[in-house]
Amino acid sequence: MKKTMTFSVVAASVALALAAPVALAAKVPAGVQLDAKQELVRNNGSEAESLDPALAESVGANNIARDLFEGLTATDADGKVVPGVAESWKQTDATTWVFKLRKNAKWSDGTAVTADDFVYGIRRFLDPKTASPYATTYGIFLVNGQEVAEGKKPVTEVGVKAIDKYTLELKTPYPVAFMPELVSNTQLGPAPKAAIEKYGKDWTKPGKLVGNGAFMLKDWLVNSKLVIEKNQNYWDKANVQLTKVTYLPVEDGFADVKLFQSGENDWVYQLPPGTYEKYKAELPKDIRNAPMLGLRYYSFNVKDPLLKDVRVRKALSMVIDRDILSSKITADGQVPAYSAIVRGTAGADVTTYDWAKWPMAQRVAEAKKLLAAAGVQPGTKIKFTYNTSEYHKKMAIFAASEWKSKLGLNTDMENMEFKVLLKKRHDGDYQIARNGWVADYNDATSFLALIQCGNDQNDNGNCNPKADELIKQGNLSKDPAKRKQLLTQATKMIMDDYPMLPLLQYTVPRLVKSYVGGYSTKNPMDRYRNKDLYIIKH
Amino acid sequence: MLRSKQKAAAEAIAANVSALPVDGRSPWRDARERFLRNKAAVVSLVILALITLACIFGPMLLSHSYEDTDWEAMSLAPTMLNGHYFGTDELGRDLLVRCLIGGRISLMVGLLATIASVTIGIVWGATAGFLGGKVDTLMMRIVDMMYAVPYLLIAILMVTLLGREFYLVVLTITVFSWMDMARVVRGQTLSIKSKEYIEAARAIGVSTSSIIFRHVVPNLLGIVVIYTTVTVPGVILTESVLSFLGLGVQEPMTSWGVLIEDGTGVMETTPWILLFPAAMLSITLYCANYIGDGMRDALDPKDR
Amino acid sequence: MWSYAFRRVLMTIPTLLLVITVCYLMLHATPGGPFDSERKISAAVLANLQAKYHLDLPLWQQYLYYLKSLLQGDLGASFRYADWSVNDLVANALPVSLAIGGGSLLLSVFIGVGLGIIAALRQNSIVDYLVMLIGNLGSAFPSFIIGPVLIMIFAIWLKVSPAGGWNDFQISYMVLPMALLTFINISTIGRVMRGSLIEVLNSNFIRTAKAKGLPMSTIVFRHSLKPALMPVVSVLGPLAISSITSAVVTESVFSLPGLGKLIVNGAANRDYTLVLGLVVLVTVVAVVLNLLVDLAYALLDPKIRY
Repeated sequence: MKKTMTFSVVAASVALALAAPVALAAKVPAGVQLDAKQELVRNNGSEAESLDPALAESVGANNIARDLFEGLTATDADGKVVPGVAESWKQTDATTWVFKLRKNAKWSDGTAVTADDFVYGIRRFLDPKTASPYATTYGIFLVNGQEVAEGKKPVTEVGVKAIDKYTLELKTPYPVAFMPELVSNTQLGPAPKAAIEKYGKDWTKPGKLVGNGAFMLKDWLVNSKLVIEKNQNYWDKANVQLTKVTYLPVEDGFADVKLFQSGENDWVYQLPPGTYEKYKAELPKDIRNAPMLGLRYYSFNVKDPLLKDVRVRKALSMVIDRDILSSKITADGQVPAYSAIVRGTAGADVTTYDWAKWPMAQRVAEAKKLLAAAGVQPGTKIKFTYNTSEYHKKMAIFAASEWKSKLGLNTDMENMEFKVLLKKRHDGDYQIARNGWVADYNDATSFLALIQCGNDQNDNGNCNPKADELIKQGNLSKDPAKRKQLLTQATKMIMDDYPMLPLLQYTVPRLVKSYVGGYSTKNPMDRYRNKDLYIIKH
Repeated sequence: MLRSKQKAAAEAIAANVSALPVDGRSPWRDARERFLRNKAAVVSLVILALITLACIFGPMLLSHSYEDTDWEAMSLAPTMLNGHYFGTDELGRDLLVRCLIGGRISLMVGLLATIASVTIGIVWGATAGFLGGKVDTLMMRIVDMMYAVPYLLIAILMVTLLGREFYLVVLTITVFSWMDMARVVRGQTLSIKSKEYIEAARAIGVSTSSIIFRHVVPNLLGIVVIYTTVTVPGVILTESVLSFLGLGVQEPMTSWGVLIEDGTGVMETTPWILLFPAAMLSITLYCANYIGDGMRDALDPKDR
Repeated sequence: MWSYAFRRVLMTIPTLLLVITVCYLMLHATPGGPFDSERKISAAVLANLQAKYHLDLPLWQQYLYYLKSLLQGDLGASFRYADWSVNDLVANALPVSLAIGGGSLLLSVFIGVGLGIIAALRQNSIVDYLVMLIGNLGSAFPSFIIGPVLIMIFAIWLKVSPAGGWNDFQISYMVLPMALLTFINISTIGRVMRGSLIEVLNSNFIRTAKAKGLPMSTIVFRHSLKPALMPVVSVLGPLAISSITSAVVTESVFSLPGLGKLIVNGAANRDYTLVLGLVVLVTVVAVVLNLLVDLAYALLDPKIRY
């Protein structure tokens, strides 16, 4: 993400509308009988690196952070923005947002959550001494946020202000239409100043951690389990059903499923590759699978002598049969992708290639022509780099086989450790490399980062200045429809440069016990607060 | 029955041991006979030879290649019809050929790493044990140090740093497989050293090197053979653990460890993908163990 | 003997220093750093993080810095587990590994020695072959097959054991992992015991005993066991070290919070401080165990003098 990105303002009249404080989460549908024991065991895929919301980086750590802490807003099980500590908000001008905090929001120690706690939390998040990995990711949306994170300005300069005890003002350097969704991230939430100053680095330990979320920390045994219990001081505790949730850090997919089958786990984080069809048939009530805002793709290094020719990149992309890949190889409901932007993303339409609809024979013929025109002979070697994983291996062997059988190109597969791949990718020391991305917030710009000129997330080294200009124009546009049209057009232009080979849109195939209520398959960000879940009588 | 007969035979030999002519049968013939007495070892030797031959020549005789994928025949159950006698893996590659090719790699790793580590171990252990004193202390501290280093950590770092070429995998395994042998050999040497005949040899001025090679090393043979045969399966297993950790040989090349690791994920849906390589590996390792026991019995210096 | 033990403990210090240095250099030479992740962090954030963990200093200064805090008993802060010090993490994982690894080793010694004795006494019989068939299970199947099979049988079908996890030393959670490690260990102990007992039984003094008409049980338990155990003792050190510190497969299959997984994950995450802290711990544990084995050896064989 770059600071040069700007965002449109939604038409002032629309933006001034208040968010309705009704339709809160965790409502149990009529007719559903709750179980007497409201306890859930949920595998989180790996151990949280930190419970400090400013330091949480991984998906797992953020899951827990959203239970222990609550930002100005939150997202419900369907991924919709709902009020959090703020009961209402409005955009008073193009770059100013005012949030009205509810007066009954309390920390778990019983003290009130005030606007000052948010000011402290956001300043602390951006403070270089805190060294939050997300500091610039979200910092760029606040006035002076980037400068503060870089240590060029004092933390007091950041665009956050407590108007009074229960009113908070956020200033953005340019219009940021999706601010209400952005502040659902607990990085931009409040922090318990008293506890942090009292305990220092140890403040996130059981017995010391003070939070304002629906749950509070009970126990944390690293690599074993993390237990949270219902927070009796939470403002909306009447709508919190679960009394106790145990997060497991199980990484091994096989172990995860076995714990599920033996009844020690209610929630398999992600099914191991090759098992989705089996469990779909065996446990039809427990299987849950939904597309999310994530993309599996391969990066082309456009500076590579062979790949610097766009015709070669195009040919390599054309011959990969995404339908077979999705239906037979991964076989877990993932959706074929032909664009950097996936379905369900706000702010741009999904683009595609003309050839995506062609029969494969025609695609192969065209690809061969392109290769011939580029002077690439059959038998040419290409080098493909991926990191050790059953899933990536299967996809890689498939791709290599497609290139070999359809174009006569030989692929040298280089399997390496994840950190080595990251290093090579970031350094541009590769030819074709496995890649993947999950959006931080639901907007097209989160995906455009992958292909924009000079962006940190752009591993392929491609730059289309004309498209970049369109993105800039779009972000400055006052009209959301216009912005959408410009961003879509820019995406199409960049994708025609073939800087990447889009393969599949992520889905999250998992097992969740049928008696776990409140789980929705319409949540594109795969964020489930335990506040929204409950145990049905079984 | 069998046992009592053998016991009787053993006792008879024991009773007559002093009556036997000193220049009787050659020790090697003795050893062979004792080996042949262990039926499990003999059967194992035959099976292992067959597996080895199959791994060497099998892939040349079969029509399928180990790397060609077939999207129409993925995870195919074993069948006689189209030559997929072991079925196919998740990517439609013939499992029989892959098992044989994988066997080549695993057996080669086992052979090379064992030779290397056994040689290092014997030389190291016998030298340390016999010379004793400061040299022994220093050499054994180095062994301790090697144990002290978490070998998985170094293995991971070595593979990450050096790469996954076949010989580098062998090297990585060897580096951490020779110490057992060194320790055992040293222990045995220490106890042999304090035997009367060594003291006698020393007293009459036999040189150190000839004491080591004439008297110590031959007496080590039993323990060395046991340990070698523990090393072979150990080394092959280490290769499979490296594969489990994602540090195995590169696709599309494979090894039994890699095949088994692939198979465990789908053991409930398509069990043959696990079963065949696991069976080949286990049979091989069992054979190696039985042969080891048989060799040990055969070479036991006291069993004359 | 005590001065020998003391000298051995003193020797730990140069050992430790060398091991730390080698691991330190290898870790830092390995491509990729603790802050490389799928989302590339911006240069500014990277600078903040490096300053926080002193990675902005030259390598030799970082090294001296590390040694200095090590002398004060501080293993530093973990990169991967930002809320925890390495001391905390090691202190949490060590008891788990000691319980599982140590317990299974104890069990393995009894079972392995027992199997070895049975097999040796019935050498070359069907009993011998069968005992070794069971005994060798652990060295014929990779642990990542035995573990899942144990889970399928005992946790899924029979439902008599949890499928994994750890619950404060509750014995039911320890049974399967200990069983797995025991399978691995008895294959070594059983074979070594069988071989060495056969050898002892064939030695002159036992023949004399037999000739004197002593009963077999007396011969085995009074006269043969002690010398036959010596090779077993010499393999216990390495077995103990690997059971306690490198049971990474067992720990991942049964989701245990032990040392092995911490080391492997630490290396994968380039968690420099955590890995070095574990190296320090493993080194000390290994030196102590090896020393114990050497002392036991001396007790068993009076001819060995230190």
